[in-house]
Amino acid sequence: MKSIHKIIIAVAISIGASVTSCQRLDIPPTNIVGADVIFGSEAGVTSYVANLYRALPIEDFKYRPDGNGGDNNNPPGFKRGGNDWENFYNSASAIGEEVGPYGGFDIGGGFGYWPYNDIRAVNILIEELPKHVTELTQPRVDQLLAEGHFIRAYFYYGMAKRYGGVPIITVPQDPASPVSELQVHRNKEEEVWDFISSELDLAITGMSETSEKGRANKYVAAALKSRAMLFAACVAKYGSENFVEGPARSQGFVGIPAEKAQEYFQQAWDAAKLLEGKFDLYNANPDKEQNYVDLFLKYDGNPEVIFVKQYSVAIGTAHSWDATMSPRYFTANALSRSYPTLETVERWGALNVTNPDGTPKRYSTRAEVQAGLEPRLLASIYFPGDVLRGKEFDMQRGIYPSFSGTAANEVAKPANTRSYVLAGGTDVLYNGKQVIGFTGPFTGGDELTRTGFYVRKYVDYNKAQAAVDLNRSEQPWYDFRYGEILLNRAEAAIELGNTSDALECVNKIRSRAGASTLGSVDRDAVRLERTKELVFENQYYWDLKRWRTADVVLNNARFKGLMPYYVFNEDKFIFLKEPELFQRNYNFDKRFYYEPIPGGQLALNPNLYPNNPNY
Amino acid sequence: MKKQISRLLLLGISVLAVSACTKTDNYEGPNASFEGRIIDATTGENLQSETGSTQIRLEQQDWETTASPQTIPSKYDGTFKDTKLFKGKYKVVPTNGGFWPVYDTATVDIGSNTQHNFEVTPYAKITNFSSELVDGNTLRLTFTIDPPVTAGLPTLRTIQPLVNITSMVGTGATIRDYSVTERLNMNGKAFAELPDVSTDVDVAGKTMTLEVPNLKRGTKFYVRVGVQWNDSFASWNLSNILEVQVPNE
Repeated sequence: MKSIHKIIIAVAISIGASVTSCQRLDIPPTNIVGADVIFGSEAGVTSYVANLYRALPIEDFKYRPDGNGGDNNNPPGFKRGGNDWENFYNSASAIGEEVGPYGGFDIGGGFGYWPYNDIRAVNILIEELPKHVTELTQPRVDQLLAEGHFIRAYFYYGMAKRYGGVPIITVPQDPASPVSELQVHRNKEEEVWDFISSELDLAITGMSETSEKGRANKYVAAALKSRAMLFAACVAKYGSENFVEGPARSQGFVGIPAEKAQEYFQQAWDAAKLLEGKFDLYNANPDKEQNYVDLFLKYDGNPEVIFVKQYSVAIGTAHSWDATMSPRYFTANALSRSYPTLETVERWGALNVTNPDGTPKRYSTRAEVQAGLEPRLLASIYFPGDVLRGKEFDMQRGIYPSFSGTAANEVAKPANTRSYVLAGGTDVLYNGKQVIGFTGPFTGGDELTRTGFYVRKYVDYNKAQAAVDLNRSEQPWYDFRYGEILLNRAEAAIELGNTSDALECVNKIRSRAGASTLGSVDRDAVRLERTKELVFENQYYWDLKRWRTADVVLNNARFKGLMPYYVFNEDKFIFLKEPELFQRNYNFDKRFYYEPIPGGQLALNPNLYPNNPNY
Repeated sequence: MKKQISRLLLLGISVLAVSACTKTDNYEGPNASFEGRIIDATTGENLQSETGSTQIRLEQQDWETTASPQTIPSKYDGTFKDTKLFKGKYKVVPTNGGFWPVYDTATVDIGSNTQHNFEVTPYAKITNFSSELVDGNTLRLTFTIDPPVTAGLPTLRTIQPLVNITSMVGTGATIRDYSVTERLNMNGKAFAELPDVSTDVDVAGKTMTLEVPNLKRGTKFYVRVGVQWNDSFASWNLSNILEVQVPNE
């Protein structure tokens, strides 16, 4: 009974206390930063846009196109957490540029990219800034607004290339408005690309010529415009020839009338031309191979670099490129799992590893296979015989006690009738000789090459082995570099019939690469140059899509590797072109030229129907 | 006092428990079924099919929100059947096969044992399909590609033998070395440009041969041929399936 009294007293006291204290608490909450604080100072705006830059759909080292994992703080796709180390889950390894952990073309459905929360944040920025002219000054507000238009264009570009037409929302929606107003209809694909174009025009005219590293300026906006308009032009031109029928297409939500192609190609060319004279190809080292390697590692003062994404061990955003592109043999931790294919290598021309009579050429060292190859190829891919951190890439698939006959006959034989000696580990010896190399090729696990090659581009060779660990790589990702801009311009030029301009751009790229210059180019030559220059930069996936060639290139496709063998009785090496050792099969369904509108969004907003064709 | 409180608590808990149980799942289970045939309108026979080819696409109309579409794959004999559907009104349309697109979607009330047949016009019929063994273990396949309608026909993608050791032989169920590696890439060639090896003017369409060398001896194979078109689905027309016994040496 006494305890009940106590309870009553306690309740009375706490009610009294809370009623009186409520009046004192009636102040602006100190843990919420209001619009005046954020938009009223340069520091506030910087922190606000930093969050937007962090969310930009930049397909960098960490980009993972399959939608695995993720939460609000570290969404799928554009990973931004502290431990997104599996950098071999890249788009290259789903399309045969590399082969890797994906079982085939596993990424067609996308990961439900739907950044309207980020777009809302930009819309708030664009709405708020004009209210703060007194604190920020009019010229500064104009520049920041232009930056906002760039950021907004980037988000819409990330969606347009995936879905085609999406709702264009330019003002922050009021959550209290009727649901019918909040459920916005899709815009036509053409309208979305035109919107991106006009946003970028605002950015180009309004922004200054330079900016701090990692932040956009006039030329970054022009670079994005050349990339985006090239995409739109190809959708118009090639999407009108190779398409999937459906209501979304007949209503214009996917697909652009073919007659718009020329206009978009012209916009892409004009935008690329804006950067001429402002940037240049990196050419600091007369050694062409070393120069091309350093292009991706010497970022400060590099005239080719237009826009980068930066990483930091200190704040937990570092990537793991060094630890996941090379095998454990060269690193302090982790493993590699995706490997360049022979088809990628042979973009540079067929590797000549057989004699005229069809027998495999004999090599005294592995490195001899590199003789005569283009410096850019050798700088992009680690070949057998290359050296990293004092150790050799000693790729060796096995040992032939002796070898006779032609390469073609040998490769055609069933595996169990071939006379080679293979091994399940690097410790196995054949007459005192190690059977497989420390760096593979090997099928016991995924961690050694399955093709005979490793990625070299962006790998920091200066790091000591002990320092090559997960989440310890800080070299920035070049989101835009002048090399791409020249190739965008060349492709637009060739489509516009300006062959001489295309040739000029391609030859600039080629001479820096250490390749001979060409006397003439056609569309296929421009495209081929692009796939060589931009290999492993997450471009080829979108190139295949916008050229509408993915369903042809990936029609039950299988890829090959270059398998080095040691011929014991001759003390020589031979190289055989054989199916890559994952034995993956890649098939691209035509509907994958567009991703499906995310199912969760369709449930929230039925006005997003019709979904893209065949979903 | 204590007793009263505990009784009150007990009462409260039982009220909560009873109210929590009052809502039962009174929706019917997926007890409706839908089956039928996909018929070649030019012959009245079932369209040659496979798993992963022609599908029946269903969109439920009487659901409270827009329902996600579902599909029923067809079988090798050109029939389809799904016995685990929810009862309701569905828009149904055959898709993803080697036939001219069907735009008039039918609406069907699917209940127990609902039957519905679809008539489609194939891009091409594959007729006169025959096989012979030459040199012991090379298979020569002869067949005629006969499109009922040639105006507006999609371009060709591949022409390919399909070989398997079970009777389940289709574009995704083959032995690769006897099938995909032996395909003819047509690269968008028009049907009219195809050569015709037959001199018999009475045979409509284009007659072709394909060879599959080095078949494993002493093995029984199931074989058909497929023609793939550059339409929305990269769809296939398939022949009937033949059994071929490759003898020992």
